[in-house]
Amino acid sequence: MSWDVAISRAVQNNLPRVYKNLENFPYVLDLARQLREAKMEVIRNMEKYVEMTVESVKRIGGIPHVVNTVDEARDVVGKIVGTGKTVIFGKSMVAYEMGLRDFLKERNNEVWETDLGEFLIQLANEPPSHIIAPAVHMSKERAEHLVRDKLGDLRKGATHEEIVNKVREFLREKFLKADIGITGANAVAADTGSIILVENEGNIRFTTVSPPIHIAVAGFEKIVPTLYHAMIEALVQAAYAGLYPPTYINLTSGPSSTGDIEMKRVSPAHGPKEFHLILLDNGRLDASKNPDLMEALLCIRCGRCHLHCPVYRVMGGRWGIPPFTGPMGAMWSYVTHKDPKPATLCTHSGGCKEVCPMKINIPRVLEKIKHVYFKRS
Amino acid sequence: MEGLRSLLLESLSRYGMPFPVDKKVCSSWTNELPRNGSTIIFTSCMYQIEPVVPILSKFGPYTGILRGVASLAKMVKPPKEELERAYRILNNIVKAIKRKGVDLAYLYEEEPYSGAVLLEMGMLDEFAEHARKVSEMLKERGITRVITVDPHTHNALKRYEEFVKFDVEVVSYLEVIDPSKKVEGGFTIHDSCLYSRFLNLREKYRSLILNSGISLKEDFFVTGRETSTCCGGPIGGVDPKLSEEIAKRRASELNRLSDKLLVVCPICYVTLSPHFKGEVKDVAEVIL
Repeated sequence: MSWDVAISRAVQNNLPRVYKNLENFPYVLDLARQLREAKMEVIRNMEKYVEMTVESVKRIGGIPHVVNTVDEARDVVGKIVGTGKTVIFGKSMVAYEMGLRDFLKERNNEVWETDLGEFLIQLANEPPSHIIAPAVHMSKERAEHLVRDKLGDLRKGATHEEIVNKVREFLREKFLKADIGITGANAVAADTGSIILVENEGNIRFTTVSPPIHIAVAGFEKIVPTLYHAMIEALVQAAYAGLYPPTYINLTSGPSSTGDIEMKRVSPAHGPKEFHLILLDNGRLDASKNPDLMEALLCIRCGRCHLHCPVYRVMGGRWGIPPFTGPMGAMWSYVTHKDPKPATLCTHSGGCKEVCPMKINIPRVLEKIKHVYFKRS
Repeated sequence: MEGLRSLLLESLSRYGMPFPVDKKVCSSWTNELPRNGSTIIFTSCMYQIEPVVPILSKFGPYTGILRGVASLAKMVKPPKEELERAYRILNNIVKAIKRKGVDLAYLYEEEPYSGAVLLEMGMLDEFAEHARKVSEMLKERGITRVITVDPHTHNALKRYEEFVKFDVEVVSYLEVIDPSKKVEGGFTIHDSCLYSRFLNLREKYRSLILNSGISLKEDFFVTGRETSTCCGGPIGGVDPKLSEEIAKRRASELNRLSDKLLVVCPICYVTLSPHFKGEVKDVAEVIL
């Protein structure tokens, strides 16, 4: 089954749902406006907010790590994880940017993606084709064949529900035996050091709570001034991604703790005993100081621009450097890899800027990146 | 891409257009307009030259024809029927503008190119330099108002002031004219991305179309402001296959609504026509 069929189904399923969300919950539009302002404040003062976040994470008993490059990120994670462990991922595109899954596997760890889409592309050994729907290129028929091939015992013509259930059965044991859970963060609150994760499957909740060590990885641009803004980001991201209300919003502020004996707060309790937050630069700080690029950092990874873009609808994950595909990916391929070539394929159709909740003028940012391409050549 | 850039710059330097063309092809659509005046029609040769794009596309990416720039000049002539159509559209537009009492001049072979392709490809230094030359030329000739006929030229000229000092008023013919025909029947519409999502003219031409009596067959997810998509034309020089694939998909979506299609841009016309099953018309050949 081709990409054409898969993307056509995704567009038909998703677009009406997003419009319905915005019609039924119009306050989301106002939250999006507030969020843009808050994120712009951080972009203009990124170093200050990184420092503030580091202090806040320390204050709540977490361990912050600020890394400049993906190599540094891998080193830090490698030291925390070690070898011979079971590691579960709770869906993170920054983890993909860091190359963590392959890195940890090479170090003799058993590594499993637990988000269904991520799990499918892990089984298929393929890159993500969309920033929040990494397996959007896979039709139901292909997913069914893949799961049967890799996990066995799935009837031909299995329904969507049966495929999901098969994966659920397989992963249940992994959640319970995992030594380390690695997640991303939709937002990081500079004032409290908390991270917010929004999801629907429940895998992220499991990943943040079940293993004794939780590592969250996030780009600098995920920092927002306050916990209030972090909560807003979760709501806005979910609404524009098409699933509202989101089934789960997870808030993590340091390792687990209890104050139930004499009201003395001790750590850990049932959840992780260690909480690490790895904050990655990898081009973000440079971008924040570049007026032509800074808007790219506003992106909240809702993936809406992809579905309104004629180039993405044809090329899918082949446009950009995974996980950065589509219109936002053409910007981010430059932010993180300094590769301006993906931008040259923008047709300035303009639907992306119309539907972006952060009102990023994506075609204009890409025009500036195209300019870099021609200056270089 | 470097080849494409060289071709564009070489053609602009030698022919005044982004690919080799005899300027008479651009200017022969009229001999009735004065050469001097403060208000000019600015065609940028877009309607006249667009029909050659399918000929160029047979060569694949423009880079492949670099070595033959000079010999190509003979080939880049649109088919007679298409050229006559383009000339008819331009004359329709001029008559409609004149009916509004506007004294209109035209620069004939001296009309410069807008620089649109440089801007849209991100060749911003070259665009700024081109804009400077065009701006100076218009100033020397005492031109204070320019009426454009296509979205790409309109967009390029509207953006001159970001790059150079530019005191010329830029308006689209769509902002000047009224429909001159009563038209019965229904069409669906493919919006120009630039008019619709960058230049705020979407409702302007919709009202002209509706005032002419046409009923537009629309669907929120096909012709909506946020949901409609590009024809693929602007990427043709960079990636012809991608451009073609986008056009096929867009034509197929529009065919679900009607077998009669209105466009407002000569690039959209050329890009979508081979794939749309039915009749494709420019708005200026239907309502004027």
